[in-house]
Amino acid sequence: MVKKLTSAPALFAAAGAFLVTGLLLAFLYAPIDVSSMGFSQKIFYYHAPIAETALVAFGIAFVAAILYLRDPDPKWDRLGYVSVRLGLLFSLLVMATGMIWGKAAWDAWWAWEPRLTTFLIVCFLYAAYFVLRQVVEEESRRATFAAVFAIVAFIDVPITFFATRYMPEGLHPVVITAGDTGMEGSMFLSFMISMAGMTLLLAALVRSEVAAERLKDEIDDLKIRIGG
Amino acid sequence: MAGRQFMAILRKDLIRELRTREMLVSMFLFVMLALVIFHYAFGVDTDADLTYFTGGMLWVTFIFSALLGLNRSFAQEKDEQCLDGLLLCPVDRVTIFFAKTSGNLVFLLIIQAVSVPVFTLFFIERSYLADLGLFVLVLLLADLGICTLGTLLATISMSTRARDLLLPIVFLPLIVPVLIAATSATTAIFADGADLGGLAARLGFLAAFDAVFMIAAYGTYDFAIGE
Amino acid sequence: MDAPVRDVSEGSPLEVEVDGLRKTFGRREVLRGLSFGVERGGFLVMFGPNGAGKTTTLRVLATLLTPGKGSVRVAGHDVREDPMPVRRAVGLISHSPMLYLDLTAQENLRFYADMYGLEDREERITELLERLELTHRRYDVVRTFSKGMRQRLAIARAILHRPRVLLLDEPHSGLDPRAVDILDGLLGEIREEHTFVMVTHHIQKGLELATRLMIVDGGKIVWEHAAGVAPDTFNAVYREHVQDGSAL
Repeated sequence: MVKKLTSAPALFAAAGAFLVTGLLLAFLYAPIDVSSMGFSQKIFYYHAPIAETALVAFGIAFVAAILYLRDPDPKWDRLGYVSVRLGLLFSLLVMATGMIWGKAAWDAWWAWEPRLTTFLIVCFLYAAYFVLRQVVEEESRRATFAAVFAIVAFIDVPITFFATRYMPEGLHPVVITAGDTGMEGSMFLSFMISMAGMTLLLAALVRSEVAAERLKDEIDDLKIRIGG
Repeated sequence: MAGRQFMAILRKDLIRELRTREMLVSMFLFVMLALVIFHYAFGVDTDADLTYFTGGMLWVTFIFSALLGLNRSFAQEKDEQCLDGLLLCPVDRVTIFFAKTSGNLVFLLIIQAVSVPVFTLFFIERSYLADLGLFVLVLLLADLGICTLGTLLATISMSTRARDLLLPIVFLPLIVPVLIAATSATTAIFADGADLGGLAARLGFLAAFDAVFMIAAYGTYDFAIGE
Repeated sequence: MDAPVRDVSEGSPLEVEVDGLRKTFGRREVLRGLSFGVERGGFLVMFGPNGAGKTTTLRVLATLLTPGKGSVRVAGHDVREDPMPVRRAVGLISHSPMLYLDLTAQENLRFYADMYGLEDREERITELLERLELTHRRYDVVRTFSKGMRQRLAIARAILHRPRVLLLDEPHSGLDPRAVDILDGLLGEIREEHTFVMVTHHIQKGLELATRLMIVDGGKIVWEHAAGVAPDTFNAVYREHVQDGSAL
C-alpha cells in the first residue's frame, strides 16, 4: 500500500493537485500585496518554493553521497546524480523567477542580492559536479569523487548564503523571519500549499528519474554481457 | 610516527620546490603580471582612486596564483608514479593531506610575502602599518581555507582525465565565501583602517570556514586519494 | 582451477593467501576468482599475456587496490581490514621506480625511511647504497641517473624497510646487463629472508627463480605447477593454455 502511495504516478498526481490548488489560491484567494509590488508579487508563491525544493534536492544528494561512501552501492550514486540534476534545474528556475520578480519589483533584471547571488554560485557549483563526473572514466571512482564533491558542495551552500547576506548589504525582502512569517493567514496558506506541491513534485521526479537511470544501467550491463 | 611522516612529506615537497623553483617562479610571475594588467585595466588615468578595489584585486590575484600552485603540488606525484610509492607506505591518508596542505600554505605565504609589498607600492596610498598584524591574520586565515579546500580538490582533479583543467571549475565556486570575506576585510584595512567590529566578524567567519572544511576534508580524504 | 592452493609442506605458514579474488573496474571484470597461496620463503612467478590481471593482482597484494570480492591475506593480515601492517611487510618493485627525480638518492631514501619509521636510517641507507653500487652517486639528483641506476635505487627503496614480501612487476624490463646482474645477485642474496611474487615475461629467469609457477589469463589462473619445469615444456604449456581462446 505504501509502495503504491509513493509510486511516481501517485506522487505526480499529488504534486499536481497541490500545485494547481496553490496556483488557484495564489491568484484568487490570497490578497494582492498592498505593501510593495502588487500583482507581480505573486510570483513569490513559486519562486520561494522552487528555491526551497532545490535545496532539498541538494540535501538529498548530500545524504546519498554519505551513504555511498559508507557502502558503495550504485543506487546511492544514482540517487545523488538525479538529485543534483534536479537541484540544478530548480536552481536555474529560481534564477529565472527571481529575475522576473526583480524586473517587476525593482525594474532591474539583475541585482546583487543574497539569494540571487547564492543561487548563481550554486548553479556553477553543481554544474561543476557534472563536469567532474564527465572527466572520470571509471565508474566506481566517478561515484566516489562525485560523492566527495556533493558533500563539500552542500556544506558550502549555507556558508555562501551567509557570506553573501551578511557581508555586503542586501535588498531582498526577508520573508520568513523567526516567529513572524511576514505574511497574513491567507497568503501563508497559499504559500504552504505551493511549497508542499513543489516538494511533492521533486519527490515524484526523483522517483521516476532514479528508475529511469537504473534501467539505463541495466541495459548497459546487458549490452556488455552480450557483447563481451 | 605520524609526526615524523608529516615532516618527511613536508620536507620533501619543500626541498623539491626550493631546488627547482618551478611553482614559485610561475606563481610569482603570474602575480606581477596581474598587477600590471590591473593598472591598465582600471584606466591609466592617474586620478582614478582604486582604493576600494584593492582588496578584490589582491585576492583575485592570489586565488589564481594559488590554483597554479595547487595543480603543481600533485602533478609531480602523478607523473613520476610517486603517488603509488607514497600510498605503499604505512601512512594515514589524512597525514598526507595535512602535509600537502601545509606545503601549499608555505608556498602561498612565500608568494604573498613578496608580492604584498610590491602591490602596496603600486596601489596603496595610505599606510596601513598600524593594522599590519590584522592584515597578516586575514592572510593566514584565508590562505588556510584556500589550501585546505584546494588540496582536497586538487587530489581529486589530479586523478581525472582533465587534470589541471578541472581544478578551477570545482574550486572557484566553493571558495567564493572566503573571497568575499577576505576581500571586504582587506579593502577595509587598506582604505579606511580596520574597523574592529566588522573585521572581527570576518575573521571569525574565515576561521569557521577553515574549521568546517578541515573537518570535511579529514572525513573524506581517504576517498579522494588512492585507488 | 579455482580450488584454493595450499602448499604441501606442512609447517611453512602461508605468507600470501588469496581466496576467490575478484576485481571489477567499472564494468570490466579484471580478476575473476583467483585463489592461490605462497608459503614463506617461496617464490611465485606469474606469467601471462598483457591484460591478464597480473599487475592488478600485485597491486591488490600491495594494498594499492582493494579487492572487490574474496579474501586476501598478506603476512598474516587482511589487506582490506588491516592494510597498515601489510604495507609495512610489503615492498613493490614495478616499471616505474617511484623516485623523486629532483631529489638526491640520499634524500629519496631518507624520505622513505622516515615514512616507514626506520630506526637505523643512516646505516641502512649506507648499507644498501653499497650493495647496489650507488655510493658514488649518493648526493646526486636522481634525474641525472641512467635507467639502470634508477632501477637499482628503486630496489633500495623497495627493500629499505626489510619487507617480508617482495612484489616484483617485470623488474628486468628495460635494464642494461650490468643492472640485470646486480638485480639477480641481489635477489640471490636476499632470497632466504623474503617471500616473492614476481610477474615477468622473461621465461628463462622466471623458471630459474621460481618455487612455484603460474599462468594467468583473462583474470583466472589457467595453469599452475611447482618449479622444475623445463623451458621447452613450459613454452608448450603456455601456448596450449593461452592460445586457447576459451581459457576465460
